Amino acid sequence: MNTRNFRAAAFAGALVLAGIAAAPSPLAAQTTFHKYVALGDSITAGVQGACLVGRNQQTAYPKLVAESLGITDFQTPLVAESATVTNPASACLGARLVGTSILPGPVSQPGGPLNGTLARPYDNLGIPFARVRDLVDLKNSNPAGGGVQTAAALVLRNFTGSPFAGLSAVDEANLLSPSPDLVSLWIGNNDVLGAATSGVAIDGVTVTTKADFDAKYAEVVAGIQHSGRTLVFLNIPDVTAIPFATTIPIQRTVGANTIRFLGPRTTDTCSTAPCPLPDGTLLTLQAQALLAQGVGIPVAAGGTGQPLPDGGFDPTTGILTPGVILYPAEISLLQSRTNEYNATIGAAAAANGGILVDVHEIFNDAKTNGFSIAGINLTTGLLVGGLFSADGVHPSNVGQAIVADEIIKALNRVAGTDYPEPNFATALFTVNVPPGTATLSANELWQSLLANLPEGILVALPTEERAAPMVPARPHRTRRTERREPSR
Amino acid sequence: MTRSRFRLHRISVSLAVLAFLTAAPAFPSGFQVMTQGAKATGMGLAFTAVAVDPSAIFYNPAGLGWQKHFVAQIGSEFLSKVKGDFEGANPYPGVGVTEKQHKTTFVVPNLYAVAPLTSEINFGLGINSPYGLGYRWDDAENFSGRFVAQNAVIQSVDLNPVLSFQATPEFAIAIGADYRVSKVQLEKNQAGVNPFTQSVVDIAHVKLNSDIQDNHGWGWNAGIMFRPMPQFSFGAAYRSKIKMDYDGRATFQQRLTGDPRFDAAVAAQLPTGEHPVKTFIEFPASLNLGTAFTFPGDFLLSLEADWTQWSSFNALDIHFTDLVGRVPDLHRETDWKNSWAYRIGFEKKFARFALRGGYYRDKTPQPLADAGPILADNDRDAFSLGFGYNTEHWGVDIADLYLKVKDIDTRGVSHDRFYGVYKEAVNIFAFSLRLSF
Repeated sequence: MNTRNFRAAAFAGALVLAGIAAAPSPLAAQTTFHKYVALGDSITAGVQGACLVGRNQQTAYPKLVAESLGITDFQTPLVAESATVTNPASACLGARLVGTSILPGPVSQPGGPLNGTLARPYDNLGIPFARVRDLVDLKNSNPAGGGVQTAAALVLRNFTGSPFAGLSAVDEANLLSPSPDLVSLWIGNNDVLGAATSGVAIDGVTVTTKADFDAKYAEVVAGIQHSGRTLVFLNIPDVTAIPFATTIPIQRTVGANTIRFLGPRTTDTCSTAPCPLPDGTLLTLQAQALLAQGVGIPVAAGGTGQPLPDGGFDPTTGILTPGVILYPAEISLLQSRTNEYNATIGAAAAANGGILVDVHEIFNDAKTNGFSIAGINLTTGLLVGGLFSADGVHPSNVGQAIVADEIIKALNRVAGTDYPEPNFATALFTVNVPPGTATLSANELWQSLLANLPEGILVALPTEERAAPMVPARPHRTRRTERREPSR
Repeated sequence: MTRSRFRLHRISVSLAVLAFLTAAPAFPSGFQVMTQGAKATGMGLAFTAVAVDPSAIFYNPAGLGWQKHFVAQIGSEFLSKVKGDFEGANPYPGVGVTEKQHKTTFVVPNLYAVAPLTSEINFGLGINSPYGLGYRWDDAENFSGRFVAQNAVIQSVDLNPVLSFQATPEFAIAIGADYRVSKVQLEKNQAGVNPFTQSVVDIAHVKLNSDIQDNHGWGWNAGIMFRPMPQFSFGAAYRSKIKMDYDGRATFQQRLTGDPRFDAAVAAQLPTGEHPVKTFIEFPASLNLGTAFTFPGDFLLSLEADWTQWSSFNALDIHFTDLVGRVPDLHRETDWKNSWAYRIGFEKKFARFALRGGYYRDKTPQPLADAGPILADNDRDAFSLGFGYNTEHWGVDIADLYLKVKDIDTRGVSHDRFYGVYKEAVNIFAFSLRLSF
């Protein structure tokens, strides 16, 4: 497997704290589930710290739900993990101490599949990078294709020559024996998340159009809807509220002065760029490395005076240039589109007698109020908040346990079952570190992080500032993306 | 000079209440302690329409109208938690987790004196502790609810002077002032997420403590007693709410995790040492209504309904006055409800001896969702038995009251997200010694 691609798994999901919305449910009371399959993306797969390894796959919500259901034969496409970081660009991220700052950095290396010879489909069919269309359209994967292709080659094993070739995720779910009587579907995060993490929100390019989403979602639901099967639908959180987009402030205070960072767009009060970022703007984690070099900081405040990159898309070349800024109009597009997706998901749940888990609502509540468990106050803060992993995008073990708990509570309430809720204490107090210690020096760490922008995640704790870069950063890279027609 | 006198006053106040405060009350309904006299305790606290001894100052001061001698009464209650268990549930702290409360016997003394001023007017003075709480967990450093509370204490002492006026042989009225001093204490550990291990660890111990001399409040109480015939009486007693503003100290002490990288980060941000803290408690008003019948053969039957305005305790706020922006204030929605207690008691006299018994059902003011490591309360059934011996110049009463709290099942409802079942029972032994002059 091309493990490098899993670094970009940070682009593949959004945190989730689930809750239950209206559960319309003409469900027949069911007391026992025998077979459970989870369809989804990197969150469902168990990505944490921008990589997929067995350590975190075993604590992903599908596994926890299966344990609560008493299902012992729940198979996940487990990935090995090595303590030695051989390729920082594709390493798993964790907290590292750099000088006096605690920063995300490489702590381990993903390896190859551990149970790739399983003769049947996996029960966890979460595919990193997957958009909704991929659950039905991706029937032949390319292990060397990168992104969702490589991920599907691991999870679906539908590459040429495989007995699963030609099968989509929905096909494989239906192929399981016995036929699943419980299916969870959490897809759609990546249909908006790529825009949030690249800082470029363009309908039809980095954001799936509503029409495309609706059509493909309906296709997925039609594929998994079977008589006697209970469906659990999880909706999409606000991807502009994850630490990846909320950790870096748009200004800093130095003494009595407040310095608003600079962007390339003009504003109502600034007609000549670069201009101070307007209120309501968000910066992604990658902005921190640039700010440390003085980019985005006015000359008068000791910076270069250059604006932070906004990113963009060239429809003639198909080149997407990632940026680090989400302007208010982009945020508005992502939020309104997410709401539209969620309306579709809610309607699908109602129409199919399914159970809706309102991830969006609970996530917003956690962002505003935190999530307290017996006086343990967790927040959506990066590294120290407890709800997100080190990539600022994917949920931590606690976040995964919360999702599993909401699913179990929903089942118990709607299906009339009495399954035990997961144990949060395990997720809270169990040390989650790779086997062994990563061997990179601090300088190597910085080099590796700066060399891999924008995929690399570099951030200091919000209250800390790094005075100067330790090594020069490479120029901003560009990334080619699939050329698509802009939406109308 | 003024300052010295003020200090002297503070010291004297401290000494005066020390004996009462060191005997921390516990196991109340809500955190109200109604066992303030052995005779009343023996009758299941159905004493508002009886009020025949100096503890009437607490139960119904109008009862002093029929007490025509100088009487002093001293007594004490010994409150013992005979059962204080918690069985955990998922999702937290988890099935199989069991916890125990510290089983200490608390001594709660009371002192009453009645002095006739005229044939119709009596003066009474009571010192007691009608409100208090002691909720302490064993093995506090490993207690699974330690981030909510390890030890919660409310101590109070009331100085309650009253005047009663017997307007007619059948009717008396009384009014009094209620001066309360109080202190509170809360201990808990502070949790943090170690970013290097992505696990929750104890990073500090926090102790909130107030001084007794800095925290006092005023209220009032009143009562009426109507005895149209020797065989029947009706009594009503009211006690006003008292708002206490507490000034105290918060002490933060770092707990080392064993990870020097994280410990250094915590040390850089933790406000170690003492810091001023403010909170307040609005102790509820109460209205007690009772009636008593004396049947042939010296058999007294007393019935009572008590209302307590617990809705005044709707939130717990703790403000760190010099740590604004560094340590968030604590705010807890308690949302307590007004509650009723229904009591029945009897007394059968045999010459100088008296045998007493009682029962009551006390409805909890605490919503189930609010039950947690600070305090878990529920409806309770209490059974009491008492014994008295009286002469013309002295008397002694003893009583024992067993209080069974209905199991408190917070599974699925706990606001603290601390789920499980609390099982509690309390035994209260009381005695009173009375001297008449």
